[in-house]
Amino acid sequence: MVLAERNSENVRNGRRSRGPSPNGQTESSSEEDGVPAEKIRVGRDYQVIVPEFVPVSERRLDQCPDRALLVWSPTTDIPDQKLDEYIILAKEKYGYNGEQALGMLFWHKHNLERAVLDLANFTPFPDEWTVEDKVLFEQAFQFHGKSFHRIRQMLPDKSIASLVKYYYSWKKTRTRTSLMDRQARKLTSGGKEGENGSENGSELGSNTDSESEEKKWTIHRGIRRGKNQAVPGSQGTDAKAPSDSENAPQVQGSCSNCGVACHSVRATPKGHACHSCYLHWRRTGVARPLSSMPGRTNKRKPPRGLVVNHDDLAALAGQPTQANNSLQAIDTEIVSLKRQIQSNKQQVSALKRKTTDGIDDLRPPEVSSRINARWTNDELLLAVQGVRKYGKDFSAIADVIGTKTEAHLRSFFVNYRRRYNLDAVLKEYEAENGPILIDDEKEEKMDVDQSNETAESSQKTKSSVGLGQTAK
Amino acid sequence: MSTLPHSKKRVCYYYDSDIGNYYYGQGHPMKPHRIRMTHNLLLNYGLYRKMEIYRPHKATADEMTKFHSDDYIRFLRSIRPDNMSEYNKQMQRFNVGEDCPVFDGLYEFCQLSAGGSVAAAVKLNKQASEICINWGGGLHHAKKSEASGFCYVNDIVLGILELLKYHQRVLYIDIDVHHGDGVEEAFYTTDRVMTVSFHKYGEYFPGTGDLRDIGAGKGKYYAVNIPLRDGMDDESYESIFVPIISKVMETFQPSAVVLQCGADSLTGDRLGCFNLTVRGHGKCVEFVKKYNLPFLMVGGGGYTIRNVSRCWTYETSVALGSEIANELPYNDYFEYFGPDFKLHISPSNMANQNTPEYLEKIKTRLFENLRMLPHAPGVQVQPIPEDGAVIEDSEAEEKINPDERLPQRDLDKRIQHENEYSDSEDEGEGGRRDNRSFKGSRKRPRLEKGQEGIESDLKKEEDIKSEPKENEKDEKTNVTNEETKKDGGVNP
Repeated sequence: MVLAERNSENVRNGRRSRGPSPNGQTESSSEEDGVPAEKIRVGRDYQVIVPEFVPVSERRLDQCPDRALLVWSPTTDIPDQKLDEYIILAKEKYGYNGEQALGMLFWHKHNLERAVLDLANFTPFPDEWTVEDKVLFEQAFQFHGKSFHRIRQMLPDKSIASLVKYYYSWKKTRTRTSLMDRQARKLTSGGKEGENGSENGSELGSNTDSESEEKKWTIHRGIRRGKNQAVPGSQGTDAKAPSDSENAPQVQGSCSNCGVACHSVRATPKGHACHSCYLHWRRTGVARPLSSMPGRTNKRKPPRGLVVNHDDLAALAGQPTQANNSLQAIDTEIVSLKRQIQSNKQQVSALKRKTTDGIDDLRPPEVSSRINARWTNDELLLAVQGVRKYGKDFSAIADVIGTKTEAHLRSFFVNYRRRYNLDAVLKEYEAENGPILIDDEKEEKMDVDQSNETAESSQKTKSSVGLGQTAK
Repeated sequence: MSTLPHSKKRVCYYYDSDIGNYYYGQGHPMKPHRIRMTHNLLLNYGLYRKMEIYRPHKATADEMTKFHSDDYIRFLRSIRPDNMSEYNKQMQRFNVGEDCPVFDGLYEFCQLSAGGSVAAAVKLNKQASEICINWGGGLHHAKKSEASGFCYVNDIVLGILELLKYHQRVLYIDIDVHHGDGVEEAFYTTDRVMTVSFHKYGEYFPGTGDLRDIGAGKGKYYAVNIPLRDGMDDESYESIFVPIISKVMETFQPSAVVLQCGADSLTGDRLGCFNLTVRGHGKCVEFVKKYNLPFLMVGGGGYTIRNVSRCWTYETSVALGSEIANELPYNDYFEYFGPDFKLHISPSNMANQNTPEYLEKIKTRLFENLRMLPHAPGVQVQPIPEDGAVIEDSEAEEKINPDERLPQRDLDKRIQHENEYSDSEDEGEGGRRDNRSFKGSRKRPRLEKGQEGIESDLKKEEDIKSEPKENEKDEKTNVTNEETKKDGGVNP
């Protein structure tokens, strides 16, 4: 089958390589290979009539209509971030796409406020594809492949254009399911299949858009699925799988009985229970038997990280419109999360690239960090604030100041204790952070030292009474 | 990318949201959907908001018959999948049917594609923009009365015709893996359009594009064909593209450039057989952009659509001069880009059948041809009867001056830029090389020689040039209006 496809591909290439030659003069050329070459033909029937060059003076630019409709022009007035916020608002609240959102903004002459207000007044075209349409399309596609004319016979109210458009966006959702299938398979059958899986990955990547090979791809998938006896994908199996209690992730707010995650749990003597289990327990007094006991023997698990919320399941089983709504909400959430992931990735790689050149030039200049024993007014101020913030953790204060060592800070504390009323400052610190216990011994020691130095310091204080007074 | 002040350009982008909805048919490799994918990627990369976005008008039959024959356009307008049987004879005559199938909305598709390129050319003519982009265009195989190679209406020819109204000389460059035969044929006998096509040659569609096809009549030497073999990689491509285009720019001195960015020259293309990466492909855009001429970029081939949209998105960012992350943003067609979801692609390990010797040989041959151009350096600037005849005397005189003056400037600019170009390219994954690492590569001796060859060649020309230039300078200091404008554009 694969070969057959390849061959047909070759035929196409071959035909292309021969080239269409209804009018071509097949003169045998003097080419080395001896391949008859197409020739560029010369004559009235082939060349263009070159228009006259219009001298600058005769040009009438005003008589030259643009022949195109301007739908957006860039603006420097709105910062990128604001624009992003606006687009996200339009997308998530009002269902616009990025283009429509910008179109609205442009229509309001880049006036962001007016555009935001106007967003609610228009509803972008709702998705005219109902669930029935989609199911019909899928069926028709199975019958007719990409013969959109035939598909259209089953969906007469759709234009070919609409079918083509839907086909391209539907195709990827199909790919998405198959990704899940693969992941599920990988989890069930360890290492060997894992290799296979990555192989599939590349194959998937290379084939998703080459249509003639798609059949081959579908067939491949079919075969592989058959081998693994695993045909997940339907909601039923997905729903059943997580009720396998040992395997379901025990997240916060999960039921201790059936292991399903849910929004609200009720406390029972047997642990937290989800709504269903709780009701069952209240009525019968025993734990709700798990209906999917055979599921335990079933080795199928949901892909890692897939958590099925019990309440949502209940909603799904309920009214169809409600189910649709919650599914749609989940879809939007997934999309916005994916968008977030990709933009985070972009940021990470941008930052990575920034740092590949080295971060040396980002470091603060060395000059300022030279250790200096002389105290400037700024440094004194910083030191006092440091004591307020760190107490007697001198190394921390030294780190903050940058130009002083721990020893400098110690002597500062002793020398300026009285002048800046550091004891009071220290008390403030202790009031907030509790008493300094460890340092008590040291403090006493330092008190001794202090007595030696007070003489000097008192002299200094005298010389700068003004400063001392203001500090007090 | 380099953040030169003049690398920020006013970019206009032409797109019609319907274009992705046309479908050539089951199993047909040409998928207009790739244009929508590109568009969506641009939107989510935030490039959309940095450009003027235009929805082009639908080209009228009148506009299309500026090049195409009336019969042919009338046929395209009336044929539909449901009335095909009535047109059997004409379908054969116009080569519509197999490669170029009749599909739903065929005529509208042609209208949108051509409308974009024509509108873009008008915009450039009005000097309202420096770069215009129409990824829906680039259908370079279409002939005057014949569809060919998935192309029905030749939007490029129509665009160039528009440009020719206000531009004495227009340069067309084609980096599609297929020969740009439709455009070459249309302008085969004129000296006002030079067509330069880099393409795979030898048992390959469309079969034209021999090194020896150089134009005819007045257009002799105004068609340049670079026939290549399988497996062209980034390095080889640059080694031939840069010197050839530099030389063409010097000798032909166009006042506007059209670049067909066919993405089937990328690695892993469904129909192509080259091994270029998105970066290598984009380098061509980057290089042409540096000449600061009115610049029309159009699409073209490209049949592995996820790579096509990667490529054209990247090239749009190059045109805008704004860097974009290698991680793709989430977009409507995100799943198409798995498993890595990155912008850039790696080359395959296919063998490059273009030896440095082969490329060198081609280059030498083409340089010889280019020397035959009337304004080529080393050729005396005298009215040459055949070629000069088109231009009125006064104009010819005017032209002498700028022709002598500009190349030097261009040359300087080019040399300066080349460094920046390579430096900035060094980051990221491999595959981008500046001249130094280029020299140090495996094929060292050969390439180095080639490289030196080019450089010394250029120097020589610089020398040759500077002499007559000084003589002329005194005599003719007056520069025409047009040229001063150009000067203004050239200086950042």
